[in-house]
Amino acid sequence: MDEHAPFLRVAGVTKTFDAEGAAHAPIRVIDNVSMNLAAGEFAVYLGPSGCGKTTLMRIVGGLETATGGEIYLAGKKVVGPDRKKGMVFQAYTSFPWLTVLENIRFGTKYRKDINAGEKDEITRYYLDLVDLTDFADFYVNRISGGMRQRVAIARTLAAGPDILLMDEPFGALDAQTREFLQYQLLEINRVERKSVIFVTHDVEEAVFLADRIFMFSARPATIIEEIRVADHIPGERTMTTKETEAFFHLRNHVRDVMREQSVRVEEALTAERGSE
Amino acid sequence: MTQRSLFAYRGTSTGHTDAILAVFAFVGFVGVWSLISAFEIVPQRFLPLPWKVIGALWGMLVERNFIEDIWISVARVWSAFLLSVFLAIPIGIWMSSYRIVGAALEPIVDFIRYLPVPALVPLLIIWFGIGEASKIAVLFMGTFFQLALLIADDTKRVPREFIEIGFTLGARPRHITRDIVLRSMLPSMVDNLRITLGWCWTWIIVAEIVAANSGIGHVIWSMRRFVRTPEVMAGILTVGIIGLATDQLIRFLHRRYFRYL
Repeated sequence: MDEHAPFLRVAGVTKTFDAEGAAHAPIRVIDNVSMNLAAGEFAVYLGPSGCGKTTLMRIVGGLETATGGEIYLAGKKVVGPDRKKGMVFQAYTSFPWLTVLENIRFGTKYRKDINAGEKDEITRYYLDLVDLTDFADFYVNRISGGMRQRVAIARTLAAGPDILLMDEPFGALDAQTREFLQYQLLEINRVERKSVIFVTHDVEEAVFLADRIFMFSARPATIIEEIRVADHIPGERTMTTKETEAFFHLRNHVRDVMREQSVRVEEALTAERGSE
Repeated sequence: MTQRSLFAYRGTSTGHTDAILAVFAFVGFVGVWSLISAFEIVPQRFLPLPWKVIGALWGMLVERNFIEDIWISVARVWSAFLLSVFLAIPIGIWMSSYRIVGAALEPIVDFIRYLPVPALVPLLIIWFGIGEASKIAVLFMGTFFQLALLIADDTKRVPREFIEIGFTLGARPRHITRDIVLRSMLPSMVDNLRITLGWCWTWIIVAEIVAANSGIGHVIWSMRRFVRTPEVMAGILTVGIIGLATDQLIRFLHRRYFRYL
């Protein structure tokens, strides 16, 4: 492995879906996207709904295959899903037939690098890290949506991933819970120092969480702008970061770029309907 | 308040009032039946008094060894049902897990499912004779194909994200089937098994009426020949009681083991 190779390397990834019926041309959803990520870096994919950012994240996770291009994670080519690429979805995926504790322990179930005692230890550790020790024996249907997402995050971390792939994980939560979980996610990752790709269409969430924001165009997705947040917002992110002037400034800039893309999405949809 | 919500659209009630209502409805039903019979609005030859039916059931149990017929029918139902279940569960799950199995089997299973079971009875008797094998075959034909499709549907309803989470936690397909798919679909699968078991009781009576010299269906049919209406009704009642008891038992286990629902 090359010493200077980036931790994650996305090289010229393209994705097309076959459209229904031979008359339609295949739909290109991702167009020649390249990006790198350093170990421990927090990336946010920001883009209009349906632009293909989730598809790109799923390709990184090995859940979908690219039509063109390659992805390398920790020096190895990505060919399929495994426990090194952990996922958290927007939909609640904690298993209803298991308790909070059992759900988190499920993350260690298929690990062969540790023994049963270590699995218990790791389970306890992550249970505590996401602050759910008091709810260990609750079935997940008895706890709130925010708690269920924390269970999902802990379960994924317990599998020992190299990278955490999060697809709008707080999208279904109310505003207060979402803000709290954003903060808690940063707290968790201060300890864990995992590389993260976090997909969202929420500008404020992106600016608050990211080390680097990748802004995507409307379909087909290309990276239109890349922002290193530390250049604009110095220091650690805290509960009050969202009230600083630097935050407002960057948020407004990002919002303006995204608005332009949303307009393009609308125009494209109108044109599509017009041509039918 | 309680009375009001009993009449409200989708109103609530307590288990206690539900039980009282059920008892009243049952007593009312038996009462109306008794009146119709007692005043011979319908001749008693066709509609005997309720206690005559109970008496007939008692008589059959004591004098005619009816318990053995019950046992024979129960054994037939359960052996055919278990055979269906043990084949339908893996086949149903495979149908929804691997395209090659689903695409190949779905049309065949769907076709056979629509064949009316009574129409198959003559054929099955030609093939298997009038012994136990033909009864098992009738029940199997009536349940396996339906059950395989129900199981396949249950499998399909397991959220895609559950399966993807499995892969990203390092599970192999066989782990996902065992630890995620089967566990996730278990409550709805048990419901489907319960419903399918009910159908078995329909088909066993059909099979025993057509060709049998034992079993509840055979007893009902032979009593008919002497127009012994109380005995016929007692036979029907027996099937109802067994069905209700099994159903309630499975529901109880469902509540007990799927408490997380």
